[in-house]
Amino acid sequence: MERAKAFLGAQRQTARSRLRLTVLLGNLGGGLLIAEAWLLARIVDAVLFRAADLAAVLPYLLAMPVLFLARALVVHGAERSAFSAAAVIKQQLREQLLGKLQRLGPLYLSGQRSGEMATLLSDGIETLEGYYARYLPAMALAVWIPLAILVFVLPVDARSALVLVVTAPLIPLFMIWIGRGAERLNQQQWQQLARLGARFLDAIQGLTTLRLFNATAREARLLRQDSEDYRRATMRVLRVAFLSSLALEFFATISIAIVAVLLGFRLLFQGVDFKSAFFVLLLAPEFYLPLRALGVHYHARMEALAAAERMLEVLQEPDPPSADGGIEPPREAPGIVFEHVVYRYGDRPALEGVSLDWTPGEWLALVGPSGSGKSTLVQLLLGFMVPDEGRIRVDGTDLRRIDPAAWRRNIAWVPQKPRLFAGTVAENLALGLERVAPDAMKRALEQARALEFVEALPQGMDTPIGEAGRQLSGGQVQRLALARAFLRDARLLILDEPTAHLDRHNERALREVLEGWAEGRSLLTVAHRLSTVRRADRILVLDRGRVVQQGRHAALLEQPGLYRELVRAGEHGR
Amino acid sequence: MKDIWRLLRLMRPQAGWMLLGLLLALLTLFANVTLMAVSGWFIAAMALAGAAGISMNYFSPAAIIRAMAILRTAGRYGERLVTHEATLRLIAELRLWFYRHLVPLVPGRLDGYRSGDLFSRVLADISRLEDFYLRVLLPVVVALVGSLVISRVAAAHDPMLGWILLVLMGCAGLLLPLAVGRLSREPARQSVEQAAELRGHVIDAVQGMAELTVHSALAQQAGRVARSSRQWIDAQRRLAAIHALSEAGLLLFAHLALWLVLWTAIPLMRRGDIDPPRLAMLALLSLAAFEAVMPMPQAIRLLASVRVAARRLFEIVDQPPAVEEPEQGAAAPARFLLEVQGLGFAWDEGEEVIRGLDLCLSPGRRVALLGPSGAGKSSLIPLLLGFRRPDRGRLLLGGQPIEKYRGEDLREWIAVAPQQVHLFNASIAENLRLAAPQASDAELMDVCRRLRLDGFLADQPDGLDTWVGETGLRLSGGQARRLAVARALLRKPRLLVLDEPGEGLDSLTEQAMLHDLLDGLGDCGLLLLTHHHAGLEAMDEILVLEQGRVIERGRYEELVQAGGWFAESLLLAG
Repeated sequence: MERAKAFLGAQRQTARSRLRLTVLLGNLGGGLLIAEAWLLARIVDAVLFRAADLAAVLPYLLAMPVLFLARALVVHGAERSAFSAAAVIKQQLREQLLGKLQRLGPLYLSGQRSGEMATLLSDGIETLEGYYARYLPAMALAVWIPLAILVFVLPVDARSALVLVVTAPLIPLFMIWIGRGAERLNQQQWQQLARLGARFLDAIQGLTTLRLFNATAREARLLRQDSEDYRRATMRVLRVAFLSSLALEFFATISIAIVAVLLGFRLLFQGVDFKSAFFVLLLAPEFYLPLRALGVHYHARMEALAAAERMLEVLQEPDPPSADGGIEPPREAPGIVFEHVVYRYGDRPALEGVSLDWTPGEWLALVGPSGSGKSTLVQLLLGFMVPDEGRIRVDGTDLRRIDPAAWRRNIAWVPQKPRLFAGTVAENLALGLERVAPDAMKRALEQARALEFVEALPQGMDTPIGEAGRQLSGGQVQRLALARAFLRDARLLILDEPTAHLDRHNERALREVLEGWAEGRSLLTVAHRLSTVRRADRILVLDRGRVVQQGRHAALLEQPGLYRELVRAGEHGR
Repeated sequence: MKDIWRLLRLMRPQAGWMLLGLLLALLTLFANVTLMAVSGWFIAAMALAGAAGISMNYFSPAAIIRAMAILRTAGRYGERLVTHEATLRLIAELRLWFYRHLVPLVPGRLDGYRSGDLFSRVLADISRLEDFYLRVLLPVVVALVGSLVISRVAAAHDPMLGWILLVLMGCAGLLLPLAVGRLSREPARQSVEQAAELRGHVIDAVQGMAELTVHSALAQQAGRVARSSRQWIDAQRRLAAIHALSEAGLLLFAHLALWLVLWTAIPLMRRGDIDPPRLAMLALLSLAAFEAVMPMPQAIRLLASVRVAARRLFEIVDQPPAVEEPEQGAAAPARFLLEVQGLGFAWDEGEEVIRGLDLCLSPGRRVALLGPSGAGKSSLIPLLLGFRRPDRGRLLLGGQPIEKYRGEDLREWIAVAPQQVHLFNASIAENLRLAAPQASDAELMDVCRRLRLDGFLADQPDGLDTWVGETGLRLSGGQARRLAVARALLRKPRLLVLDEPGEGLDSLTEQAMLHDLLDGLGDCGLLLLTHHHAGLEAMDEILVLEQGRVIERGRYEELVQAGGWFAESLLLAG
């Protein structure tokens, strides 16, 4: 909580002048308001007590619209500058947070965290707007405007000023009470409401399942019961929680009433003149207004703190060690050697001493049950992580000493579920490349057997794809990803085969594509189907983090062992 | 407008609470306006009495002032409690209404919607409707009644005064928000679009981080995120400017009203048409009156989105169910014989996914449909369960067309373990008991043992009580699939349909699981939909499907001998 507060405070620097302008305009508005109240008191006083007619008060009456026009302008300006203060901070934080995530790398984002982070980056950061654009200015105005009003009320009527002074601190005090105690209860209730929402969503998403088991009526009863329970519990809490805002309201309203009555009696006994009394009465509600506005925007602070907390979790994560060497990797297909490589996720071992000698131009296939370490091996090769023990040598040089960006330029990688990014087909193909000639793209598409369907798309290479764009089939996505890999003209291709979704036609096509392309390049396939394995130069059979068998398909089939068992049982598991 | 009426009718059961909330809101408003107006009158009257040296009855106005202060405070408390009560009741009401209407539409009618999109949209839409009372209906009615009553009070002094207030409150409460709504339509649309674009780029950046890293495209993607963030903020900025305009406009109208009231009332007072203290009263009344229309800009803004949300929900709900249930369901067939004759089926207006299927399932018979995913196998399930009707051919159960049976009965007899497993946010035991509410823990454990889940359960400290689903333990695809099979087995069905039960399992485990499963089936028929080879030796018939058509059929040995696709695919597998 404390560090989140400090964090939010530190971000203010980015938009300091804009925040100052917002407060300044707010205060100016307060000043205009006081002036207008004075004018109004003056006019009513003149008409009531000095027998003035319209002509006599005309100068004052004409001054009033000038004041409220000016005030409207100031309010408008304050709103806009408040927005732009928050806008600067939002933009800056969004870039900073994404930069940090990119430094932390794909390993940090694995699992469900990626969804969470995406939400934080888009909508999480938006919650800061309420804090910087509303809460912070409200906070400053809650101090300045009541003070300014007091300065004017005090010389006019000390007793009214006293009433204001006594009740004013009570209001922030109650706000803190709301903030600390009742608000927390309130918060819990909203959490429960969110849970109830999740429960409802769960029922809807599982509706097919419920129908399979003829359980929809039972679920409806449960849903009703849950929301009844929730309502009862919530109302019990709210009856108490609203008491604090009741108290808040009570003090603000009652003190206006007291001020009015007090002034009335002093007027009757001529202890104060009407003009001053009316002026004070006009200002009394305005005195409490900024304090109440603060209360309205208080929840923005809570939300912002919660979001800041989550941002800090990311920002305070230490950067992973960067590669120590800037050694340029070779441009030709390299010889890669694994020397007793060990890798663990926490204390869960993934690779337990894998040694491997991969000669340039060789086609390796990785085979093994799920959890045997296939993807860990690939991740190590890609440089997303470094071995806990042992080392990976590239043409004799430790991979750790090679500049990772340069190393990856040598690699083309097609993951199991390739991702297409929001953009056109062409943009997706040229991902990360400077300038690509359309001819080169066409060639790559042709090689990957994707040209035909791409040309059949309504806008050809300019068709928008990705999540929001045109939906492509699994096989099409796969072929586009292959084309993307081919375009890089890398010496090393790592291909994680899809487990399903390919019929035999596609399967054969993929195989032929690879065979043509692999000439003179090193190829590693994480294999799930035997058709590709059979043609590999060498099959590595992994089991529980170790290489248990290796060799060609035919040779492996003849020995007893995991490979034969896997083959006998049909297709491979993942 | 029709949709709003329909929404109101839906809310009718809670009319009592809604009305009470409305009355309290009006009470609070009037108490505050009265408080301000009477205060103004009071101090002016007291000052005049003091100046003239005459006495006046100050008890009743002073008492009214205090009473109004208390009434306002208490009214506000009551209003908040009652409106929350009403809202919570409405939440329950609306959700249940939607759930009930969704039941006959799922599965089938909603398949056209992408599920993630549908559910998040539905939830957002429903919560918008839940806000309808509190944020739209209540403020609109309060503003309407409030401004009519208040201007009527002013008109009692002079009709002109009434008109001034009515017209200006109308401007502030209706014209201004409408104008603002029109102005912000385009930027609001842009903002929504830009937000979606940003979210897309952010998700790409986060979930595609590994590929972006390998393709050296991190900076490129960061640039896209920064750019679309800036564009979103620009759209928001235009909206904020319009919002600022509306704030300033509200202030302008309120003060203009005060000014015009003074301009009109001063001559009236001079002529003796109204009492002098009433001038002070009218001034304060006109300022306080605008509290009634303050929430109108928000209400009118939300009204538009409520209408859209209601429209969308009604569109979903109003769809006719995919099938018509027979009035009187046929009785359970004595012999559970299922015959499929020349069956053809297409999803709505799509290509046929099943083309001329013939198949017979007598008690105890085991049949497998083999084919790559997307071959149309799974489309048979909704037909068997009565969620859909065949387009061509016949589906007979016990010699009677399947249309004669009630869907609920069919689902009582036929149990399915689907590919898409939905696990509810609940314990494993509760998820299993969905299928058999009365099953004992021992029975549950027994089924889990048959599916080789006992080892996994033993690893969990809470065993069967382990929490799963969205908020619980993440199960692997294979574990979830097996839980679905367990659920189906617990139904003690007469026909069991398994859709890819081995997905996510390695082939050795799959083989063993199917073996155990088949052993205990007895009289129960089995339909196995798969693209693996595991378990096929034990089938009475295997149908090889490609693009909805049967290309080969027979027993395992027969197919091997026939030397067709099946034999070839086996050959590939060694």
